[in-house]
Amino acid sequence: MNAWRKLKYLLPSYRRSEEREMQEELESLAAIAGRRELGNLTLAAENARGVWGWAWLEGIVADVRYALRVLAKRPSFTAVAVVSLALAIGANAAIFSLMDALLWRELPVREPERLVLLERYSVSYLAYSRFAQNGGSVMEGVFAWYSDATRRLDVGGGAQRGTVALVSGDYFPALGLRMQLGRGILPEEDQRGQPAQVALLSHAYWQRAFGGDRGVVGRPIWVERARFTVIGVAPPEFFGLEVGSVPDVWIPLSTFGSVFSGPNYLDSPNDNFLYVAGRLKPGVSVPQAEAALTPIAIQIDIERNGPPDTEARRRDLLKSKVTLRPLSKGLSWLRQRFSKPLRVVFLMVAVGLLLACVNVMGLQFARAGERQKELAVRMAIGASRWRIMRQLVTESAIVAASSGALGLAMYRPAANALASLIGIGGGQTARLILPLDATMLWFVAGVSMAAALVSGVLPSWRATRLNPAVGLPQVSRGVTATPQRRLAGRVAVAVQIALSLVLVSATCLFAFSLRQLRSFDSGVRRERLLVVDVDANDGGYKDASLVALDARVRNRLAAIPGVADVSFSQVGIYSGRNSNDSIEADGYQSRNERDRDALLDQAGPRFFTTLGARLIAGRDFDQTDTPSAPKVAIISQEFARHFFAGRNPVGLSFSNWEKHLYRVIGVAEDLRHEVREKPQRWFYLCELQTGKHPQVFSTRFLVRVRSSRVVSAAGLRAAIVAEDKTLRIDEIATADELFDRTLDEDRLIETLAWGFGVLALVLAAVGLYGLLSYEVTRRTGEIGIRMAIGAGKGDILSLVLREVAKVAGIGFVVGAAGAAALARTVEGLVFGIQAGDPRVELAAAAILAVVVMSAAWLPARRAALTDPMSALRNE
Amino acid sequence: MDLLQGTLDMLVLRTLVFAPLHGYGIAKEIRSHSNEALGIEFGSLYPALKRLELKGWIACKWETSEHNRRAKYYRLTAEGRKQLMREHSKWAEFVNAVSLVMGPNPDEV
Repeated sequence: MNAWRKLKYLLPSYRRSEEREMQEELESLAAIAGRRELGNLTLAAENARGVWGWAWLEGIVADVRYALRVLAKRPSFTAVAVVSLALAIGANAAIFSLMDALLWRELPVREPERLVLLERYSVSYLAYSRFAQNGGSVMEGVFAWYSDATRRLDVGGGAQRGTVALVSGDYFPALGLRMQLGRGILPEEDQRGQPAQVALLSHAYWQRAFGGDRGVVGRPIWVERARFTVIGVAPPEFFGLEVGSVPDVWIPLSTFGSVFSGPNYLDSPNDNFLYVAGRLKPGVSVPQAEAALTPIAIQIDIERNGPPDTEARRRDLLKSKVTLRPLSKGLSWLRQRFSKPLRVVFLMVAVGLLLACVNVMGLQFARAGERQKELAVRMAIGASRWRIMRQLVTESAIVAASSGALGLAMYRPAANALASLIGIGGGQTARLILPLDATMLWFVAGVSMAAALVSGVLPSWRATRLNPAVGLPQVSRGVTATPQRRLAGRVAVAVQIALSLVLVSATCLFAFSLRQLRSFDSGVRRERLLVVDVDANDGGYKDASLVALDARVRNRLAAIPGVADVSFSQVGIYSGRNSNDSIEADGYQSRNERDRDALLDQAGPRFFTTLGARLIAGRDFDQTDTPSAPKVAIISQEFARHFFAGRNPVGLSFSNWEKHLYRVIGVAEDLRHEVREKPQRWFYLCELQTGKHPQVFSTRFLVRVRSSRVVSAAGLRAAIVAEDKTLRIDEIATADELFDRTLDEDRLIETLAWGFGVLALVLAAVGLYGLLSYEVTRRTGEIGIRMAIGAGKGDILSLVLREVAKVAGIGFVVGAAGAAALARTVEGLVFGIQAGDPRVELAAAAILAVVVMSAAWLPARRAALTDPMSALRNE
Repeated sequence: MDLLQGTLDMLVLRTLVFAPLHGYGIAKEIRSHSNEALGIEFGSLYPALKRLELKGWIACKWETSEHNRRAKYYRLTAEGRKQLMREHSKWAEFVNAVSLVMGPNPDEV
């Protein structure tokens, strides 16, 4: 009752009527008793208003109004403060949301902490089936999924590319999602004999392809050539179980054969293409579950490879063990790759925010001088220091709140742009779901609040530290700056310069590192090398016909004027693809199964010559390697070291899993597909001899041109289409571009570092300019006197610049220490350069020095152009 | 301060037991009933009235006074009467407790 009455006083109309009523009553009483008798009626009324209980709110409203007026009167200050803080807050929010999505957020499913991934690697359909059939004692559900590359999707409006995930029937029941529309795929719809052609859409795809039509359930969708029926739409926050990718469509695993031509992986016990995961039964621990699942894994191994025939294999089998990994945050390769870079970047944006705060703080210090008269008057007529500080901090809070709002508007586009710098292989970039949720709101609110406190409290505390008795006359005489106040401004500038130096040197470090990375010798001569990706799936080519097609396309490309060399392979370079095989070589003893693994590529003639790769021994593939000739292979140095230790491998033989025998004709220097990867055991077969080409791989043609100006992408395209119109050219890129894509983390950091480096320079320049302009104005009288007694323009200029140099010098020393500290944290992220390299520090210092001196130049020149007569007259 | 404020509230409520009064009337009444010992500042009394009104212990209405002047008259509500009774017994307890400690004037012992 009481609270309700109080609330009514929030209504301005109610308050006004109460006010009128009160005045009337007081007047009537005054008429009865006489004013003297009643004392101070204004005070009585004020105290009575206090009873209404909203005095504090009124105070805040008044503060806010006043602050808005003050800020509106200084638009340039307000704009600089709001924009610089907004950039910093937005960047912090963007990085925070990326970190949240990649590192911290749990899957939006029921009890994600009970989800575990079975085995480290992908497994075969057979293995999945056995785990699903026999794992029931410890698992509530075992499910599998296959995230496919891009496929042809059609909802009736023409074909588009989209990503498809195939999932087992237990997938959605085990996850326990609340669908946006319809339902998930059911176990009975994923039967090997009779798969149901049903599809669940992702929220984003539903929006994109159906415009968010709520009547989508029951509509048809074609995946490649097969018709499916839409049964539901996933909730917006669900992206599957792999962080960084969002499938457009989920379909039952058993529809594999009807969707994709070519071998049906489900039938093959050796195609490891599935991830298998499960939900632990309540109360079952991970070690318990591992123990219970291990016999199943051994049974699967025996089913695949037969009973152990050698003692070594028997021991291997006995030692084998299923390892479960927590899946509560989903599966992510990006997490490992980006966790350290993101932490470093987060540190950098935090420094950027601090810099923006100090910048605003410095501007406040400078402005405090202008406002001294106002503050002195207010204190003289009785305002308490706290009251004025509250007023000043309110101004900072308004600036920070507007910056926070702006930052909130900016962070999602920024974070998405950053995510698009992250490649996930196959020419695709990461797709992350970055919701504007409570976590983000709290983060931004907290950061803005902190920014308000950091940038506002100290200046307002200083500004109000004046004695009204002496303050007022002092102010009116124009002698405003006490030594302490000047010191405060200078400290702010020095801190800004120090922080800027930290950021600028980080920028230089990363820029230098990226330059080193780009010139990294990966074993391929990248200049004038083009890669053309040709997908022949639509034309129905497979194995032998595909191999023949590759040879014909090669001839056509080679006939283009200006093309020096053409070859092709299935993996190509920097593609992120790989395919495994198991090697038996004479004289090689394996300790375990994985030791026999090697990576396989099947290539065309002159492969290494075209790449410009170096052969250490032997020869390249050539026209003599025909299907009827002896089967040959070229191996990498690492392969040679591993399987043929100490022997000259040329002329020796090895066999692969299918027991085909290959004779080594050459050893190639290790090619690096990524800068930081260790040399791998590669072997290369001649595609013409194997006669095989798995359909999942398009062919990557490698074209060495004489001059990049002569051969155009259109020319290459025309030559390929002339062979067959159904051939799809997914990509034409230079080797440099492809190589660049392997440098995602580095490019991401470098891009960000550039952004912050430039921001730091701008902020430092603005801060310095503002403070110096103020000081010069303040010292007009002093400068006038100096000039009147004979100082020249040059003396004044050097006077001002010398003082700047002094302050900047301190900033540089402190900043160098900070930069060294930051450099230590980025060790391992930079390439080809020591973290504390003096060249980097010097470059950063030089850049910053130029900016600082340019910012100081204008005010200094203004000081030098002071007219002594008018300056003295004003004094 | 709390005690004083509470005491003032109690005095106001007590004054209104017999008849409704306007603000100045309440002040005069308290003064005369205490043999001029309690001179209540109108500046403190008026906010107290507003507070009591907000709590619902007193209610007010415009009426015409004996001298044919309009004034706002406050009267005790049922809720206010209950509150007065509570306050009164608390007050009695307090006075009792204090007099037990103080005993007779030491000079007279």
